[in-house]
Amino acid sequence: MNGDIHERARKLIDAWHVEGLPESDRAGLETHLAACPECAARAQVTERALQSLRTLAPRLNPAIVAQARLRVRVRAQELREYRSRLHALWMSCALSWILGALTAPLLWQGVQWIAERFALSTAASVTLFVLSWSVPAAAAAAVLVWWRSQTATENGFLPPRT
Amino acid sequence: MVRTIFWYATLMEHEAQELVRGLRRRDPSLLDRLIEQYHYRLLRYLLMLTGSQETAEDLFQETWIRVLEKGHQYNGKWKFETWLFTIARNLAIDLLRRRQPQSLDALLQPEEGERPMELKAPEDATPFVIAAQGEEARRVALLLRRLPPAYREVLVLRFQEDLELSEIAWVVGSPLSTIKSRLYRGLEALRQHLEGQPS
Repeated sequence: MNGDIHERARKLIDAWHVEGLPESDRAGLETHLAACPECAARAQVTERALQSLRTLAPRLNPAIVAQARLRVRVRAQELREYRSRLHALWMSCALSWILGALTAPLLWQGVQWIAERFALSTAASVTLFVLSWSVPAAAAAAVLVWWRSQTATENGFLPPRT
Repeated sequence: MVRTIFWYATLMEHEAQELVRGLRRRDPSLLDRLIEQYHYRLLRYLLMLTGSQETAEDLFQETWIRVLEKGHQYNGKWKFETWLFTIARNLAIDLLRRRQPQSLDALLQPEEGERPMELKAPEDATPFVIAAQGEEARRVALLLRRLPPAYREVLVLRFQEDLELSEIAWVVGSPLSTIKSRLYRGLEALRQHLEGQPS
């Protein structure tokens, strides 16, 4: 029974530091520590170990803080430039798509003229129209995707490794 | 009293929102302030995690770059330092896994020839306390390096960085019960090592 009390006190000493104790347990533990030198010594060793841990102070090289600041500023500038280039590219793509949509009727007239001149079938003229409208846009999209993946790799924008 | 608490909570909330917005904007002056505020704790954590000055200093730089790049992912749900330690830990694990793809024990040991962790006494200590704490600190530092890294890490996060148990669980990516168990075992191991050495 007596051993149980000491065992419980030891558990409470650790719990006090790790999780904190409710007021009732804390008061009981303090009463026990005041009366039991063995458990009090254990509490003292624990407190000393944690105090030493808290006061461990690593030596700091001030140059690495300055270096970190500089690297962060340089990287921030790179990221701003990257975003601005990407923005310009998206704007160009959007503009080209809008112009493509607006000029589609003219393109269709041109295709019809070619179809009449070279006696193309309806299927051939429709295919020619679709290709002449979509191939440049598809090529631009492919270039955009390729360029984005290249710069993403260079800039570390790919998803983090798991 | 209640009004003071409410005012303080509102202020904290406002600061957290400012931080989230600043990180989303990748504001370099905010990053400057964060580096100033957290550099010491971050380096201390990395030193304790890796046990190597060079590795910790390299990871220190990489962590701040990653904070800049991934700042938009910070949502203010956790304290900034909790998020910062999580980033630092992931980078450390990535780096050390590339070096030694074995166990976590092997991962967190410094490579041969690297400078071990350097310690100094706190600046506000008197000369006597510096001498006493220097010896004690060196002993504890040595003891820490003998502890399994999983125990060492949670001890450092709890007792040096004063993180809550739930925050430690988030940083380490383990359940709360595992964190508690590691803390109890780590504390026991630290005490046994200390008791086993002459004071």
